[in-house]
Amino acid sequence: MNLNPLPVNSSRLGGCTLTGALSVTTRIRDAATIVHGPKGCSHHNFSLLHATWLDNDEVLLPDLVSTGLSEQDIVFGGEDALRKALDKATGRNVKAVFVLSTCIVETIGDDVEAVCEQEYGIPVIHIPTAGFLGGTFQDGVNNALITLAGTAKPCSRAPGVNIIGEMNLEYEVEENYTEIARLLGCLDLPVSLRFVHDIPFDRMSRLGSGQINILRNPALAPVGKYLEQRFGTPFIPSFPHGLSDTIAFLESVACCCGIDGHESVERERSMQAEMIAAFGDLKGSRAAFDNTWPGQEGLAAAEELAGALGLSPGGGSDTRLPVSPAVGTTGMRRMLHRWRRAIHA
Amino acid sequence: MKQIALYGKGGIGKSTTSANLSAALSARGLSILQIGCDPKRDSTRMLMQGKFIPTVMDLVRTRGEAALSLSDIVFTGYNGIRCVEAGGPEPGVGCAGRGIIATFHLLEKFGALDGDVIVYDVLGDVVCGGFAMPMREGYAQEIYLVTSGELMSLYAANNICKAIQRLSSRVKSKCRLGGVICNARGQPREEELVAEFSRRVNSAMVQYIPRAHVVQQAEVNQQTVIEYSPESAQAEVYRSLAGRVMGNTRLSVPTPIETDELESLAREFI
Repeated sequence: MNLNPLPVNSSRLGGCTLTGALSVTTRIRDAATIVHGPKGCSHHNFSLLHATWLDNDEVLLPDLVSTGLSEQDIVFGGEDALRKALDKATGRNVKAVFVLSTCIVETIGDDVEAVCEQEYGIPVIHIPTAGFLGGTFQDGVNNALITLAGTAKPCSRAPGVNIIGEMNLEYEVEENYTEIARLLGCLDLPVSLRFVHDIPFDRMSRLGSGQINILRNPALAPVGKYLEQRFGTPFIPSFPHGLSDTIAFLESVACCCGIDGHESVERERSMQAEMIAAFGDLKGSRAAFDNTWPGQEGLAAAEELAGALGLSPGGGSDTRLPVSPAVGTTGMRRMLHRWRRAIHA
Repeated sequence: MKQIALYGKGGIGKSTTSANLSAALSARGLSILQIGCDPKRDSTRMLMQGKFIPTVMDLVRTRGEAALSLSDIVFTGYNGIRCVEAGGPEPGVGCAGRGIIATFHLLEKFGALDGDVIVYDVLGDVVCGGFAMPMREGYAQEIYLVTSGELMSLYAANNICKAIQRLSSRVKSKCRLGGVICNARGQPREEELVAEFSRRVNSAMVQYIPRAHVVQQAEVNQQTVIEYSPESAQAEVYRSLAGRVMGNTRLSVPTPIETDELESLAREFI
């Protein structure tokens, strides 16, 4: 359990298992998610998801259903309330229903699995998500992805790459995806499946066909290993952060897919050099990093970028350069624009 | 108003003792409220001519809390004793402990907790916070342990001492151990053993209740011994218990003993 209140610690290592799993299941277009617990657990998450998507210019309402447990259900058991909610949800026009449990139903010992195993005509998938058992937001994400992957059958390989575990609640989720798709495009590799971001339930059947899986971040390693075991798909452990990391990413994807990537890597290097040159006006500026948020990989990328640019970061300056764990070369470009604004402000 | 709670191992005779104690107290002209705090809901049966009264939790479930009033949940039985059964879920589902807490909140809301004596008859052991509810602030201030001389029964009583000790360390807590009631099963030297156990946990045996056939006779006639055979020696024992409970001034914070000590104690008296 992480009780350190610094923002950098509270972002993903703390948080609620339920919210982590919801950030995955609500991005399946034609599925509903039942939160088995008091209605507050749903409301809080509904608001969070809705508000975050709005910030990302997506006007969507998460398809959440609460079993709305009251004290009576807690005393007498909540399984009937879950059965009712399932009858209702499975009767709607959805392809699957996810059932996520909360702290209280695990405490009183509702047999959620048994209720989910009854016949409803469509897949009903239980993901245990009681936060008090010590799991984190990331565990919720991982459990949801692994449970979903378990519903996909092994199939033959097809050209294409799977993107695994995008951070659906981060502001730059689309920009980061676009950058990965661009980098893969440099190697003539199409994206086969965004697992899971805005996909129909049936598309998950493609999961086993990918040439490689690219994980959003190293914390998804258990998911990567599970997929490797189930489908024999090798994985790249993270999206790249920073200039040299992006080059290394291209090289390892090429190597993994048996592609000669030299030309693409050289083109990327010159693109990076042009970009640095375009921000030559920042050379020699004095500024310090504002590292409230980024975590290790963000800071390392920023330091490397500052070095390439000829910036002198350090104390003695009031200018704070924003640092974000931006992905790829274009992520560095976005950060450079922010730096220019900060320095010329 | 005096509030007492009886705790002890399942099947040891808490409900029989509680009902007879309530009956004996009522005979002294006192206004009594007996609250059964066990999903088995049979605490007050012998005060209600063998009837299982509707439980608070069942009423909440079937009619909804808003539709209930005090008269729906409190039933008047033998000699004007008011009876309440908390009730709870079916075995194996839900949360019985929360059921006790919910019942207490409802009783508070209705202002039901009044009279001269409230007798709380609680399930076998303090298995979770819900079953410690009767010991908490504002409720029973005197806990009586019901035990026989059997090791397992003493073991349960000793565990309940741990709960009382823990609760009594809280700032506002007035919960204390009032004493030990020996509900004998008839083994040799049982009275001595339970008296010694009581001393070791920093308390005293307030009453020795011998095993008597009249208890079973009263039960099959759906009555307390006080009602069924008021002249019997056993009825006198319950009246004596009532007198000692009312006059009890020896309230203590118990000192539970180690299992090893408990076992060697039981060996000494076998």
